[in-house]
Amino acid sequence: MAALLQFTINGLIAGSIYALVASGFSLIYSTNRFMHLAHGATVAVGGYILFTLFSLLGWPFFASAFLTLIFTGIFGVGLFRFVYLPLQNKKASNVVLLIASIALLILVANSIQLIFGATVKSIGLITVSKGLNFYGAAITPLQIIIIGVSIVIFVALYVFMKKTKLGRNMRAVADNKELASVVGINQIRVADWSFFLGSVLAGIGGILIGLEQNIFPDMGTMLIIRGFTGAVVGGITSVPGAVVGSYLLGLIENYGIWFLPSGYKDAIAFLVLLIFLVFKPTGLFGLSKGVKQ
Amino acid sequence: MIENYILHILILMSIYSIFAVSYNVALGYAGLLNLGHVAFFGLGAYTSALLTKAGVPFVVAFICAGVIAAVFGYLLVYLTRELKGDYLVLATLGFSFVFTSLMLNWRWLTRGPLGLPGIAKPNIFGLVIKGNLMYFIFVLIIAAICLYIMWRIVSSPFGRLLEATRDDELGLRVLGKNTFNLKAKAMTVSAFFAGLAGSLFAHYISYIDPGTFYIMEIILILSIVIIGGVASFKGSIVGTIILILLPELLRFLSISSSILGPLRQMLYAVVLLGLLMYRPRGIFGRVDLE
Repeated sequence: MAALLQFTINGLIAGSIYALVASGFSLIYSTNRFMHLAHGATVAVGGYILFTLFSLLGWPFFASAFLTLIFTGIFGVGLFRFVYLPLQNKKASNVVLLIASIALLILVANSIQLIFGATVKSIGLITVSKGLNFYGAAITPLQIIIIGVSIVIFVALYVFMKKTKLGRNMRAVADNKELASVVGINQIRVADWSFFLGSVLAGIGGILIGLEQNIFPDMGTMLIIRGFTGAVVGGITSVPGAVVGSYLLGLIENYGIWFLPSGYKDAIAFLVLLIFLVFKPTGLFGLSKGVKQ
Repeated sequence: MIENYILHILILMSIYSIFAVSYNVALGYAGLLNLGHVAFFGLGAYTSALLTKAGVPFVVAFICAGVIAAVFGYLLVYLTRELKGDYLVLATLGFSFVFTSLMLNWRWLTRGPLGLPGIAKPNIFGLVIKGNLMYFIFVLIIAAICLYIMWRIVSSPFGRLLEATRDDELGLRVLGKNTFNLKAKAMTVSAFFAGLAGSLFAHYISYIDPGTFYIMEIILILSIVIIGGVASFKGSIVGTIILILLPELLRFLSISSSILGPLRQMLYAVVLLGLLMYRPRGIFGRVDLE
């Protein structure tokens, strides 16, 4: 019983982090209709900026974290403005944008490796604390913070998408690009904002991962695979769906290692991805639009 | 010493030309957006290495490498037959990740991240291919045969049907052609030759690990095909020559190998990005990637 609870807790922690990556990825996908796999690189950039400001330069934590978020947001918009938008202006297909995003992912990971080296780094804000005992399962205070912060952010994101003008504009563009531009929504501005907000979400993910685990140059690749798997499971065009899908993925992975050695976590995640793409590409909550076009 | 280095480059070019042209058969001619091609190369490499280690003669292992890859090629195209565009790309990318993580974790068979060392040089009915010169002649002959067969395939009426599938699938269906069948054949052929290239690679390098067949190789093979031009046969060969030579230039800058690795990968990523942005049709390209 304690084991079941422990797997559930581990699944929720992993799910929170995947969901932070997936929600930004899905926000960007639903407004722009292409797969921004370099979103994983934004998470890594976030982790390394926090590492530089807080651990290397010794700035106060909250100031460092705030600057990290601003910077990741600008980084995301920069990718859009300098790579994706020029490609879109040349009428490049979505697949070309996707391939460009993989190239960006590799480029950023290797730039980080060149600057910071290949070794793993730790932020070291919180020295490893002893897990609290929760009905026989261990959970650290930081892990509780991760789950709490994620849930608060997802609720805020939901309210933002439903209630604010910008959120409504984003959903309008996601729903029907032509119609949105007919009613006078500036699409490029909406795209800028989607990249900014999505990348800030990635930055939050980068900070939390940096605090909980170690950071390493290639971390973005692993995270974006989880992120888009979560998004595909939930329905890539639906931000709340992507969040739910990510939690499901976190849980499936952790229950899966009950039956298989823990190294198979990756294989389980990819199999879930393949199964969903093959049998239910719209995901649990997504629109069917776009899957077979 | 210098001859050996030049031969090494030439051997890699021969192996990669098979790999790249086979990729172009599916990606360029049939328009199948497959990012799992590296997995076929890896499947061939692992199949051939494991079989020869188990005592199977090289010739048999070599053929099996192609056949196993082809079987998985058919399986992949069958499973993803309903998917288009981004979703097909993601599914095939996912396939290559499944392959890598299985190779990493199936330890009793593949030794996981430790990889398979000491893969024997090819032994063809008693003739052992050893030394770089002999290996070069060997791969050159194999590459010539493979390229010739693929050339015959893409320039045949069947090849033109493939291009028609790429350009107007619905139109071809109206004419009563089974387009899934065409795509499946293209993918199977493509995977078969990728598997053969993988086998040649494994027996040349003599050591493989799952990392050899990861996302980086996808960037390399995509850059080769795009720089030469999608659906251009000679383009893929020219692309192979350019992109195998390009990172060798970095060797002349006397820099440490810990910097050389990431620099090489950055170079490939920048080349791919630059191509997509400024010259998406490459050198000899006739069609756009869609």
